[in-house]
Amino acid sequence: MSATDLPQGAASSDILDSPMQGVWPPTPAMLAEPVDPDLSRAQAGNLRKAWETPRGWRRITAVNNSHVGKWYAMTALAFMLGAGVLALLMRVQLAVPENGFLDSDRFNQFFTMHGSAMMFLFAVPMFEAISILLLPAMLGTRDMPFPRLSAYGYWCFLIGGVFVLGSVLFDAAPSSGWFMYPPLATESEGIGADIWLLGLSFIEVASIAAAVELIVGVIKCRPPGMRINLMPLYAWYVLVVGGMILFAFPPLIAGDFLFELQRSLDWPFFDPERGGDPLLWQHLFWIFGHPEVYIIFLPSIAIAAMVVPTAARIPITGYSWIVLSAVGTGFLSFGLWVHHMFATGLPALSLGFFSAASEAVVIPTGVQIFAFIATMMVGRVRMILPMLWIAGAVAIFTAGGLTGVMVALAPFDWQVHDTYFIVAHLHYTLFGGMVFPVIGGVYYFFPVIMKKNLSERLGRWSFWLCFTGFNICFLPMHLTGLLGMPRRVYTYSGDLGWNMLNLISTLGAFVLAAGILVFVWDLIRPKGRAPHSARNPWDAGTLEWTHDVPDEPWGVRSVPYVTSRYPLWDQPEMLARMDAGRFYLPDAPEGERETLITSAVDAVPQHVARLTGPAWCTLVAAAFTGGAFILPTFKMYLPAVLCGIVAIGAIIWWLWTATARIPEARFKDAGLGLRLPLYVSGPKAPGWWAVFITMLGDATGFASLVFGVFFYWTARPDFPPPDAPHAALLPSLAAACLFLASWGATRIARGVNAAGSIVPARGLLLAAPILALAGAGALFAAVWLPGLAPTSHAYPAMMWALVVWTVAHVLCGAIMQAYCLARSLAGRMTARHDADLWNTALFWHFLIVTCLVTTAMIALVPRML
Amino acid sequence: MRSRHDSLWYMIFAPGIWALHFVAVYGWAATICAKGAPYGLARIGIAAVTVIALVLILWHGVLAWRQWDLLDDGDHVHARPTAGDRREFLGHAGLLLAIVALVGVVFVSLPAIFIGDCR
Ligand code: HEM
Ligand SMILES: [Cu+2]
Repeated sequence: MSATDLPQGAASSDILDSPMQGVWPPTPAMLAEPVDPDLSRAQAGNLRKAWETPRGWRRITAVNNSHVGKWYAMTALAFMLGAGVLALLMRVQLAVPENGFLDSDRFNQFFTMHGSAMMFLFAVPMFEAISILLLPAMLGTRDMPFPRLSAYGYWCFLIGGVFVLGSVLFDAAPSSGWFMYPPLATESEGIGADIWLLGLSFIEVASIAAAVELIVGVIKCRPPGMRINLMPLYAWYVLVVGGMILFAFPPLIAGDFLFELQRSLDWPFFDPERGGDPLLWQHLFWIFGHPEVYIIFLPSIAIAAMVVPTAARIPITGYSWIVLSAVGTGFLSFGLWVHHMFATGLPALSLGFFSAASEAVVIPTGVQIFAFIATMMVGRVRMILPMLWIAGAVAIFTAGGLTGVMVALAPFDWQVHDTYFIVAHLHYTLFGGMVFPVIGGVYYFFPVIMKKNLSERLGRWSFWLCFTGFNICFLPMHLTGLLGMPRRVYTYSGDLGWNMLNLISTLGAFVLAAGILVFVWDLIRPKGRAPHSARNPWDAGTLEWTHDVPDEPWGVRSVPYVTSRYPLWDQPEMLARMDAGRFYLPDAPEGERETLITSAVDAVPQHVARLTGPAWCTLVAAAFTGGAFILPTFKMYLPAVLCGIVAIGAIIWWLWTATARIPEARFKDAGLGLRLPLYVSGPKAPGWWAVFITMLGDATGFASLVFGVFFYWTARPDFPPPDAPHAALLPSLAAACLFLASWGATRIARGVNAAGSIVPARGLLLAAPILALAGAGALFAAVWLPGLAPTSHAYPAMMWALVVWTVAHVLCGAIMQAYCLARSLAGRMTARHDADLWNTALFWHFLIVTCLVTTAMIALVPRML
Repeated sequence: MRSRHDSLWYMIFAPGIWALHFVAVYGWAATICAKGAPYGLARIGIAAVTVIALVLILWHGVLAWRQWDLLDDGDHVHARPTAGDRREFLGHAGLLLAIVALVGVVFVSLPAIFIGDCR
């Protein structure tokens, strides 16, 4: 069958405008045809060479997902251990009443760092690390779509994490709790709060980068034939959690942005004396904070969804139901944020909405658990070690869920708000929903990751130590809380009846720590002489178990044609064919790293993508991005700006040299008689998707600022203050027109360029950034000329914040336009090779909305309020 | 334009409506209560948005149910590598999501019935 007579019903735009040539899908006869062993060996040699990892100290330039993923995971683990040590020190302090082991300020720093590090440096990054490590394997693809981006994200994470966590050693750590409520945090002395705001924003940006990459990976890098209904459940969860990160983190970043403006420039966003409102921070924080809980917890379900069918040896029961519950939880969890603010005196009606949504989210969560139980009942479960950890997790999480439902009831929350009851609830959900399943997952996936086995005996020891230790530590805390012990106190007096309970908790904490250490030892103990593990030790059905033992650098030997949810169970010949190089991209004659890009829904092959290899520019970019974020904490603004410029330079260099390269030929033989284009632009290109998804997140951040304006308007009688000057109308109008012109020029340039009129396109691309910069100037003038003084009141401050945000984005947009012009002049962008221009135009579609909303918000809306 | 049978966007249509409904209801109630407008206005607005949301979700649910096509072939597993199974899978998941969104919308609007004023 040729590409023109397509399978019934598959006729979507995906296929019709794909200029693929040759045979699709492959016929059974083609798949059955053996590969000449000599040829296969030669091909393997080529591949090995193309994917070779740099040796020695150049290893740090590696960008391969299997390297970056391991580093990422180990770094997150190290941060977790650091945060755990802080927890133990706190427990030592609390073991007996009136203890003097830590003073109050230290204790505050410790619980703040413990909470922040566990949430930002361990829980979320660990999900991204494991996904970067395993997702390509599960999808039978060679690597993540943007290897250098993963490496960049990792190095940012390392730098930021060391900076934030390290501050504890210098007695300079933040101390206002992991949610940093103002006014405590806005007025706190020292640089602790700045470290938190800037360091963690930096890490959040890296987290978003990883999320973008993971989403694009799931959408565009599935193996041919793996339609959306065949995708492993893990990939569904990656999609959902990635989406949640994309919508949850930007509000926090927007909050950080306002917060840092207040701390460094004294713009009074959260200062009630000058028209601000601390509640705005609480809103922005918890719009992030509640989904965060699910962002942490869904990946664990994803791990369980891989382990349970293997343990039961049957396909998962209720695939559609699990997809439903994942997506449903993802949405509903955003409706819950205010339940952390029950005690803040919001209207009862508003609280009611959130109480209701909190109860509704129980439905999809319950469905997932039921699907697992059903699977276990239908199959015959083997209590393999990973399963033991999962079972323990379910027990703990269920307990945490029950107390959670109690806390979600508004009246009960007033009772236990800010007591140890909350501390207990929190740790039950986090350990059951994250720590236990992740350790179980490590036991399960370790053979894929390291090609060795972990010790069954140590694993069981570790489990029972952790499980009992955990309960000894945290079960009594419910009672301590009901007896009235508030959280975040560094000591307590001995006559309140809390002594025994606290001592027990401390003992439990050390048992728990011992269990974790046994696990860590098992993980890192040298295994050089231990035999390799079996290739598929648990007899699982999904693609990651086609990995090579011993290790090979190429991800998969050839990219398989998949027709089942459990290919290893249902396509018995598949493994041998993959190894022989029977499937797609079995060779790398040009010495390039390549992977297959397929369509989003039906996984029809579209494109052979050339991936980026090892590089220094990502390291340079990460280091200087770090400088740009970190130096402002020490009020070194000029060096920070310089660092930012170098970082941008490094990123441009990286894009210029390695992305959207014009290939030597239009088509490439992808194997099995299929010829695919080597260059695509627009929605078929992964880069376009990356821009699209990033901009969704960016739009969310902007929306959070707009939400801020409306929030002030409802919460404050003096917003805007009656006699306040407003942004000037004429400059605002001019700015809007200039932005529109710049956007139009970009969009038209894309069409003109594609039509082959290169010179007019260049003219437009020259005009576009000039118009954009002029617009930025006009926007600036609009708030400058009438003398809006941002330090005087939250209203002018908010208007300025909108302008600063928009101008920064416009600068970015102008750089992109100029970049396209330069690419065109350098012959790196032609009429047909126009991916850069597509991406820039897409960026501008989002940007123009931001620009117009901003001009309306500063010039029109306040005049109408 | 893609057909609804092979688009992920349609699958998340119903929860998307839930999200919009949530924002609208929350924003509306906050505005009414903050600006001291009569409470009845809050209820009317919430009722209107809720009805619109419910109608949209129901309509979408019916389409998804047809797309799933359960009664036709009884398939609720959708594990075959065919366009038909993919279409039915997206319908099935879309229907389930519509149900969850429906319950979510109802839950979120209930407080407006039970709570009598802004306090
Ligand atoms: C070794 C095990 C652990 C122990 C002994 C422990 C102990 C503690 C203690 C004593 C506090 C401070 C309570 C207070 O004074 O208010 C705390 C707070 C907290 N813990 Fe843990 N914890 C552990 C693991 C974790 C994990 C794995 C996570 C998350 C993944 C986590 C997240 C938090 C958070 C978010 C807070 C709140 C911080 C704040 O109040 O700002 N903990 N923990
Ligand atoms: Cu919550």
